[in-house]
Amino acid sequence: MRLGGYEVKLEKKVRVTILEASTISLFAILIGLALVGLIFLQAGVSPVKGFRAIFSYGFANPFGLPLTINRSVFILLCTCAFIVPMKAGLWNIGTAGQLYGGALGTFGVALALGARESQAPSVSPVLVIVLMMGGAILGGAVMGAIPGFLKGRFNTNEIVVTMMLNSVGFWLIAFMIKEGGPFMGGGGEGTGFKLSESVFGPMAWGQTFTIPIALALAALLYFLFAKSNLGYQIRAFGLSPSAAKYAGIDKQNVPLLVFILGGMIAGLAGYHYFAAVPGLYKIPTNYGDFGDLSFYGIICGLISQGNPLAAIPFALLFGGLTNGGRFVQGQLHLGYGIDYALLGVLMITLVAFQFFYRNSIVWEKLEREA
Amino acid sequence: MLEFFARSLNASTVFTIAALGELIGQRSGILNVGIEGVMLFGATMGFIVAKTTGSYLLGCLAAIAIGGLIAALHGFFSITLGGDQVVNGMGIWILGFGLTSYIGYPYTGPLGLERLPTVFGVSPFFFLGISLVVLTWWMFSKTSLGLRIRSAGENPSVTEVSGINVTRTRYLSVVVSGMLMGLGGAIFSLSYNPVWSINFLLGWGFIALALVFFSMWNPFILTAGSILFGTLWQLSLNPQLVLPNVMSRYLWRAVPFIMTIGVLVLMSTKWFSSRFGAAKPEALGQSYEKE
Repeated sequence: MRLGGYEVKLEKKVRVTILEASTISLFAILIGLALVGLIFLQAGVSPVKGFRAIFSYGFANPFGLPLTINRSVFILLCTCAFIVPMKAGLWNIGTAGQLYGGALGTFGVALALGARESQAPSVSPVLVIVLMMGGAILGGAVMGAIPGFLKGRFNTNEIVVTMMLNSVGFWLIAFMIKEGGPFMGGGGEGTGFKLSESVFGPMAWGQTFTIPIALALAALLYFLFAKSNLGYQIRAFGLSPSAAKYAGIDKQNVPLLVFILGGMIAGLAGYHYFAAVPGLYKIPTNYGDFGDLSFYGIICGLISQGNPLAAIPFALLFGGLTNGGRFVQGQLHLGYGIDYALLGVLMITLVAFQFFYRNSIVWEKLEREA
Repeated sequence: MLEFFARSLNASTVFTIAALGELIGQRSGILNVGIEGVMLFGATMGFIVAKTTGSYLLGCLAAIAIGGLIAALHGFFSITLGGDQVVNGMGIWILGFGLTSYIGYPYTGPLGLERLPTVFGVSPFFFLGISLVVLTWWMFSKTSLGLRIRSAGENPSVTEVSGINVTRTRYLSVVVSGMLMGLGGAIFSLSYNPVWSINFLLGWGFIALALVFFSMWNPFILTAGSILFGTLWQLSLNPQLVLPNVMSRYLWRAVPFIMTIGVLVLMSTKWFSSRFGAAKPEALGQSYEKE
């Protein structure tokens, strides 16, 4: 195509540098936010005012910032849970179901060891906390193992299976916490029981201890994929399952392994929100909202190109945006669900921008004809 | 009991029409895993328009229009930009989930219109669904348009060489497919369960997607599968009809989703694919670039 004195062409990219990738991601987010600005305009709120309120509550407010951090850790864990199967070329859209599994594991252990509110657990609280985390990891792993096993053994479509398990997990929790279910709390308003104060997630420097765990996990995953033999096998499988077979990589075990790992991490996300974030310490009635929030892990995983360390700042950004979004919709009388709208708009701009990961636009100056 | 079967057929209509849309798109080679998102758009827009205008017809038309538009977006990403169709479909799903949650929220609650009259106790949409199924079968097996769509999904380069515009054929199929998905969503929100709440489809779109794989891309098997799942769904809402007091009603709600996984596994086995697997469009999910 000719434009002025230039010839504009599309060229296929062979590889994307880190600088290019971050520029593209940044542009995608900016365009996404600009589109959300249109939603503000439509609702009669100045976008500048709207975003200023979102950012100042999300990142600079003494009440807002801790909430942002808790959300970000949750999103980061869900991102890691998405990234591990993604490296093997598989889609884990079942982080919601897996975190429900983690919640069931957490509270199952707590119930078995008598750690309900106003009770003292039968063993040392520290041991209960460790076992609760173990329960969360196990619960998530079981939910993850199902699509992983089915993919490896029968090549069953993992997208449909994980999505179905989200609904299965949702109803399992409903069964456990409502209408006389084993986890039902007092008061009968359909929430789970509250934990005994002694087994609340420990705090370090005023913040929950799951924060350093999540950060360490992201670093660990980075090294797993960058340096280890296992990480290499997973990536090789992701690039070409059939070629990986000739490199001696087991076709059945890789999907199972990545989904178990992903499920374990998502289970930990369930532990984080329901048992370690101050103020909750139970499975609330609106537990489905946390399943919805976990879908930010997909965006975050895609935008960070599967790099767990690069995911950290994005998780922080999305944590602040959703938290600030929730806050301003009340303050500025916006409609409910601006954080949902943001989720949708960011995702679609990101998908559109995938084009630039594959193609670059080349401008060539045309020679003047004599 | 009769009412139970009528409700089951109404539920199956949602699956039939939406999955028929997916089937048409897939036959042309375009996989849309974002069917749930397109259905959410159709369901929400149809609901809002019908509620504000009081007209079912306008509601359905709005749903068809938005479904076609959103699918065209998927077409643009997948056909013109040539991106990974699964990534694009995921984008469409999350866009639908996020945006309809925001747009529909002020309309939370019942539709508040008089229910549509039934024909022999069944919603008129059921008969529309059956007619569309027959029409689609006829189109694919008897018309040149059907042949063009099928060949675009089997081998696009050969199709192009034989003088058929693959891009145009695929766009046409994808837009029609989205219109049907949108209509399927509207049938859910206007007829089957006329109450709006956030993300109320709860995976129906993904079940419809699984049904297409299950159908071996045959509209009649698709209808049978839809009726099976419609009945199952209804059964999971009223378990006391067959097995009173066996399990909590919440656990019953999980049953159709577990069944879907079971059916999908069965279809993925060697036994099944070696017998029926050839029906899969050869170029499904692959983007095509003209040489």
